[in-house]
Amino acid sequence: MRHPVLANRIRLIVWWLVWLFLMAGQSLLFYYAYGNFSSIGILDSFISLLIYSGIGLSLWYPFSFFNSGNVRTTTIISNLIISGIISVSLWALLTKYIMLGVLPDGNNYNEYWEATFPYRIGTGVFIFGLIVMSYYLFISLTNLAEKNAKEARLESLVKETELKMLRSQINPHFLFNSLNSISSLTVTDPEKARMMVVKLSDFMRYALARKDEQPVSLQSEMENLRLYLEIEKVRFGDKLTTEEHIDPECLDFKIPVMLLQPLYENAVKHGVYESTETVKIFTQAKIIDGYIEIIIKNNYDTAPSMKKGTGTGLINVARRLELFYGNKASSKTLKENGLYTITLYIPKEY
Amino acid sequence: MEKIRIVIIDDEEPGRELVKHYLKEVDSIEVIAECSDGFSGLKTISTLKPDLVFLDIQMPRLTGIELVEVLTEKPEIIFTTAYDHFAIRAFELNAVDYLMKPFEKRRFLEAVKKAIVKIQSGKGNLEPANQLLSKKPETEGPVNRIVVRKANAINIIPVEQVRYVEAQDDYVMIHHSTGKALKQQTMKFYEENLPQSDFVRIHRAYIVNITEINKIEPYGKDTHVAVLNSGEKLPVSRAGYKQLREDLKF
Repeated sequence: MRHPVLANRIRLIVWWLVWLFLMAGQSLLFYYAYGNFSSIGILDSFISLLIYSGIGLSLWYPFSFFNSGNVRTTTIISNLIISGIISVSLWALLTKYIMLGVLPDGNNYNEYWEATFPYRIGTGVFIFGLIVMSYYLFISLTNLAEKNAKEARLESLVKETELKMLRSQINPHFLFNSLNSISSLTVTDPEKARMMVVKLSDFMRYALARKDEQPVSLQSEMENLRLYLEIEKVRFGDKLTTEEHIDPECLDFKIPVMLLQPLYENAVKHGVYESTETVKIFTQAKIIDGYIEIIIKNNYDTAPSMKKGTGTGLINVARRLELFYGNKASSKTLKENGLYTITLYIPKEY
Repeated sequence: MEKIRIVIIDDEEPGRELVKHYLKEVDSIEVIAECSDGFSGLKTISTLKPDLVFLDIQMPRLTGIELVEVLTEKPEIIFTTAYDHFAIRAFELNAVDYLMKPFEKRRFLEAVKKAIVKIQSGKGNLEPANQLLSKKPETEGPVNRIVVRKANAINIIPVEQVRYVEAQDDYVMIHHSTGKALKQQTMKFYEENLPQSDFVRIHRAYIVNITEINKIEPYGKDTHVAVLNSGEKLPVSRAGYKQLREDLKF
């Protein structure tokens, strides 16, 4: 830890002002003790507190050393008592001999010294206490600030890590199924296989390139989602259709990258995979009072499916919205009459 | 010699196209139909009675496995799927072969040859058995429905409607909210694959839906009976009672 007083100009000024104040106090005290106001008294106060100020400044080093690491309270207290005794005696002796050296007539000073001695020791102990207290105050305030800063850093790190984890990764099943289709197409329709490889690469480039959590425009998100849906269309043909109604003013709206991906994956998984009918994925986006409202809707087969979904996709999307926007964004789902609808409200923040 | 009549059932077009393409090289066969979901597949098999079926497993409405389970007259089946966790069940259903997508032409033609031999000789070939038994099924989430045949109708029973499952020799009787149906499956399968939060095996011969239990009464020394909402009484074994206590926390 740096020296709390010497490292900062303003604190140094305050430090000297406090000593000036103490000097006045000591002069008055000694005037009361000695009963006679003289130039010796003023000079004595001046010199002695100049000395004490020096001792006070250097006391910081042993103090910060006493407090480093895990030290027992009793050890600290005994250290303080010892350093207090040394400081006060050193101060008193230095004052006496310097004063005797400075003044032409030593006898006067000896008399003054003896009369004020108990007060001098009292002042010394009092000032020592003040120094100890202010240094300790400084140390605990610094520790507190450091602790707070550390906590804040840790919190943002945790949040960042969680966001990274929630960022929908490319679903391995999707990749696997796509490779399967490509494998079939290379035999039956090489041109279509080539197109699918290109689409898959574009999709993966987008998904892999964005390592950071910088929000992206709805336009680039939608472009990537179209790629995803086109790849699935190769597998399912006419069974998968899409419809979009996106207001032009929404295109520049920024949203977290790959936020919508799990929702389309759900629509394909629970809609297209499980249905014998054509499934239409309908997307609508518009701006309402500074919020963007995104609606994704698909029809689905109401017959019970082989396996129940786990809801992970939706939970992830909701959690990411919470981490990005607090309680300002929301998502809600509705399952009604063979239609699955999810509505997102996202504030304009980026 | 008559041509071998084939049906291809796969919900993905590239998958069907590939099978058709490979089959072009095989003599004495004929693809008579293609289907893109389990239900239409079932209907087609029942009406056209093909000799050989290429069957995908993950399909809408009815999976390939469920389809074979409810067939009364089974053609020879070659499963074509991207996943390996149905392999053991496929073998239990006497499938000729189990092709994992993507498969190579050589592997595909091997399977076809095996099927042709089996069809022409009229007897089974157990080779895939050893191959498949070494595969451990991947664990998957619980089932959400049970498909059964009742006379000529196919019933899809959501698991919530299953009241209890009763062992009957090589079969199980599924008692559900609107009746009961026999199914060729093991108790062990249902013990492992019904949602564990709702179903408890209370006895060697019974797995019961917890929500159906009205009360549990002592019955003789050490044993209990579960009285269902319907009034039926099912025996509870000592192990079953322990399990119930754990699950219902009493």
